[in-house]
Amino acid sequence: MDEILKIEHLVKTFGTNEVLRDIDFSVSKGDVISIIGSSGSGKSTLLRCINLLEDATGGHILFHGEDILGGDVNEDSYRTKVGMVFQSFNLFANLNVLDNCMIGQVKVLKRDKEEARATALEYLAKVGMAQYIEAKPRQLSGGQKQRVAIARALVMNPEVLLFDEPTSALDPEMVGEVLDVMKDLAASGMTMLVVTHEMAFARDVSNRVIFMSDGRIEEDGDPATVFSSPKSERTRDFLSRFNS
Amino acid sequence: MSIGEMNFFQRMVYIIQEYSGSLLKGAATTMAIAIVCTFFGCVIGFAVGLLQTTEPHKGSGPLKRGLLKAVKVVLTAYVEVFRGTPMMLQAAFIFYGMSQLFGINLGMWSAAFIIVSVNTGAYMAETVRGGILSVDPGQSEGARAIGMTHFQTMVNIILPQALRNIMPQIGNNLIINIKDTCVLSIIGTVELFFTFRSISGALYMYFEAATVTMAIYFILTFVCSRILRAVENRMDGPADFNLATTDTLAFTSGMTRYDAQKGGTH
Repeated sequence: MDEILKIEHLVKTFGTNEVLRDIDFSVSKGDVISIIGSSGSGKSTLLRCINLLEDATGGHILFHGEDILGGDVNEDSYRTKVGMVFQSFNLFANLNVLDNCMIGQVKVLKRDKEEARATALEYLAKVGMAQYIEAKPRQLSGGQKQRVAIARALVMNPEVLLFDEPTSALDPEMVGEVLDVMKDLAASGMTMLVVTHEMAFARDVSNRVIFMSDGRIEEDGDPATVFSSPKSERTRDFLSRFNS
Repeated sequence: MSIGEMNFFQRMVYIIQEYSGSLLKGAATTMAIAIVCTFFGCVIGFAVGLLQTTEPHKGSGPLKRGLLKAVKVVLTAYVEVFRGTPMMLQAAFIFYGMSQLFGINLGMWSAAFIIVSVNTGAYMAETVRGGILSVDPGQSEGARAIGMTHFQTMVNIILPQALRNIMPQIGNNLIINIKDTCVLSIIGTVELFFTFRSISGALYMYFEAATVTMAIYFILTFVCSRILRAVENRMDGPADFNLATTDTLAFTSGMTRYDAQKGGTH
């Protein structure tokens, strides 16, 4: 399979605190990988390192075989290919829904406005937010904001989409609408890396589950195996808390 | 009726009748200096505040880092000196210094514009810095995550929000400038306060002239503060929004049209 991302020996420390210790895994085209684990295990930091929002302390991140931590790579053009959806949405508060989805296309990809608008509307319709193009982010509910944020990432036509706990800041009744959008995306073949506490999503939608603990990958395998017969004690501990 | 026989109100009316021309001219000069200098002060403030909040790129070499550091030191010195000394003395210092040291005779207008702009810029620099820091860091992460450069992020996302946040402070600065142009009378700028001194000196009617001039200052500042509040409300946009639809019958009821072929839902 087409390998898009390969993470090798990734290390991240904050001061003396080792958040990521020697992370190794790869992402192939069409993969939907759920990263689970308790708070503080380094899941979010891992995603932020992959998107270069944090500088990795050591190791390599290969994007189509090219080391993006090497220093010669244009970070901004790499970021357009690796989209990110945040727990706190981070929609641009000064722009309405349509402009949120257009500005990256116009300013970064240099698409003309007509094309950008058409693309934005196409993806906004996909996430069920086309009616709200004139609304400002503050006028939307959490679930609506997150759906717009997903559309904003999609319009850039990324090769991989990173989700950093996309439903953790939402009221329970809004979690479903965002997960539905993510399920559709996964079914359409989008390559996704999802940090989540939604075990049902991890089990039913993803094709691979990574369990992280103390900055290490404790378990990496297909959902059925990880959920039904985990190899490590820590994984069993963690999962038993969800099954009770 | 001679001036001696007039009461307080008659004397005020007399001042207004006799000196309405110079009072209006003084008020116009004051407003021109205040508005132009607040504008240029904002420009200076944005430039300085932007540079002060710039962090060196992790790939940039020691030369670039050193240069940025040196620029920041100079700008900090500028801000501290011009915030930390009276504008009246700055006016004298620049006006007389220019003529004595460099033989440049600044005219009344250029001296006034330079002094008040540079002074306002020093205050605005700190205001803008605060405005930029007040914008949620998530906003810039969101922009970086779709590949926008630092400059694009600043211009399109951070500064518009910072500007909205500091609008009350810009209004404050305009009002302060309207009143503080009076210190320019020390270098002979004929603004409203200078006019007050001429009138009161000529007629020996200090109380009446002060009352009239104060009323004019108040009208100027009050109108400005109302206008700025309206501008702020405009920047916030409407509290509601229209739903977009492809149903042509709904257009008349205030809904917005969008093209079904380009991704609409029926």
